[in-house]
Amino acid sequence: MKQKTVINASARRKSFRLVLCLALIIFSAGVAMSQSLEKLYSVLPSEVSGWKKAAPPETYDKGNLYDYIDGGAELYISYNFQKLLAVRYKVADEEEIVIDIFDMGNSFDAYGLFSHGREREDGIAGQGSEYNAGLLTFWKDRYYVSILAYPETEGKKEIVIGLGRRLADAVPKEGEVPPVIGLLPQPNLIPESVRYFHHYIWLNSHFFMANENILLIDDETQAVLAKYKTDDKPLHLLIALYPDRTKARKAEQSFLQNYLPDAREGMAQLPDGRWTGCRLEGERLSVVFNAPSREAAVSYLEMIKPDPSPTT
Amino acid sequence: MKKKKMITRREFIKRTSLAAVGGAVFLTKPEWAALSPAGPARVAQEAKKSKVVLVRNKDVLNEQGRPVAEVVLDMLDTAVKELTGQPDAVASWKTFIKPDDIVGIKTNVWTYIPTTAEVENALKKRVMDAGVKEANIGIDDRGVLRHPAFQKATALINARPMRAHHWSGVGTLIKNYIMFIPDPENYHGDSCASLGSIWEKPHVKGKTRLNVLGMLTPQFHVLGPHSFNPKYVWSYYGFLVGFDPVAVDATGLRIIQAKRQEFFGEDRPLSPPAKHILTADTQYHLGTADPNKIELVKIGYDQDIFI
Repeated sequence: MKQKTVINASARRKSFRLVLCLALIIFSAGVAMSQSLEKLYSVLPSEVSGWKKAAPPETYDKGNLYDYIDGGAELYISYNFQKLLAVRYKVADEEEIVIDIFDMGNSFDAYGLFSHGREREDGIAGQGSEYNAGLLTFWKDRYYVSILAYPETEGKKEIVIGLGRRLADAVPKEGEVPPVIGLLPQPNLIPESVRYFHHYIWLNSHFFMANENILLIDDETQAVLAKYKTDDKPLHLLIALYPDRTKARKAEQSFLQNYLPDAREGMAQLPDGRWTGCRLEGERLSVVFNAPSREAAVSYLEMIKPDPSPTT
Repeated sequence: MKKKKMITRREFIKRTSLAAVGGAVFLTKPEWAALSPAGPARVAQEAKKSKVVLVRNKDVLNEQGRPVAEVVLDMLDTAVKELTGQPDAVASWKTFIKPDDIVGIKTNVWTYIPTTAEVENALKKRVMDAGVKEANIGIDDRGVLRHPAFQKATALINARPMRAHHWSGVGTLIKNYIMFIPDPENYHGDSCASLGSIWEKPHVKGKTRLNVLGMLTPQFHVLGPHSFNPKYVWSYYGFLVGFDPVAVDATGLRIIQAKRQEFFGEDRPLSPPAKHILTADTQYHLGTADPNKIELVKIGYDQDIFI
């Protein structure tokens, strides 16, 4: 009995130390993230061309992001949002330049968030950027940045681009794009159409498929959607990597049952004459939509590259 | 709880020759109403169509993109005269506003695309021209539940711009009344499908005399941390005006959907869909979303009109 008591006390001390270590690691990670955002904030000048930093920056996390982005917070949270630093510059007549620096936790999600909204890439800042009519967005490593100065003027445009480049340069390294992107066949690919996501709502926002999640896409799935040029309507290709073969198979079954119940060998022609087909290979489910012919659908599925390197 | 009916892209393709998806299809094919949770669309009741006036003027925006007050007033006058069939604006307003009314002008103060002071002032001016004392007029958005004029209002004027919206697909006249309830967040579920129910609340029901949907610079796609992205905003130079808020919203939605088709080069459905416009018709019976039951009168600038 006495030995059991000694063992229990020892086990409790070990558990306590383990919990303490874990807590310190989590705390340190949080502090490190905060320090990184602080570092980015520190590179922003206190004044630029008469625009002055207005008040200390605001910070938001998952708990209160809705206070800042009412109605739009789900997008960021679905892409693994961690923390936001919001900075405002003002001039005398109360116009604002608003800088939002999002820490998305990893480069895959920062890229995904950027890909969700971009229509073209202009190489202005970071690893991918788009400037349009007063709004600059870009991503680099695990950061996604938005700088808004509306309505646009030439002067504000210069400031926005300057601040964006300064922030991008302050991020020490580039991050990797999701490996699933590398599976996309290259012939006829429309590069700006590539979208990375792991929530079915974002699939629907680019290509409405169904009002329910028939492809079983969730946080454990890595999915990419891209368009390809054909003679008339573009063809859409979706590649989804599931955490295991069982889930991938269930997704295939769900898709066939709900979308292609009349498929033969995974292919079916829809009433508009276009072809849709899917192929399951291990943990990967690929679907082609709007192919001009069965042969084209098969061809694109066969062009998908072999499995990528280990994912996040 | 009733199971949501599965709707796939494939069904849209089957039912329409255009393979169009999204809100516009809901509103152009009566059979889609049958897919709404409320069940089959109610049988068409009234033979009379809901009149909606689209008035446009390219001079309504100045070089800075701000509305020009005189042009705004003139456009609203034109619309209301057409709507009522009266010879002048004041006579038009007198057909639906009485001197002893207490009037609340429900505006929208969203930073990037607000109703604007020019529109608010034009509406207030005409309400006063109809005989209402200035002290009996209130203009508000988020504070309507606390505003004395709205608390005592016998008449409401509903005025807001149309824009794509995270919760509801598009921000509409129907949605503009969400500030009349203390818990807006409880109406966000299912793409805000239950917004029409707000119009049945005692302090709102039956009071709306005019609906003005701003289409000066609508936003047709929502993205960005502030739900605003200038590349998805375009100058349409218009107002949609009518007594039937559902008909006005449905018409505005068609314009938004057409602009999306033009910009994206393909059908890109609103996400979430603007379901609340359909349910305002089929479930809450606030008006009609069916273009076949809407008489659309187009006045003024007609380039890039989309409908």
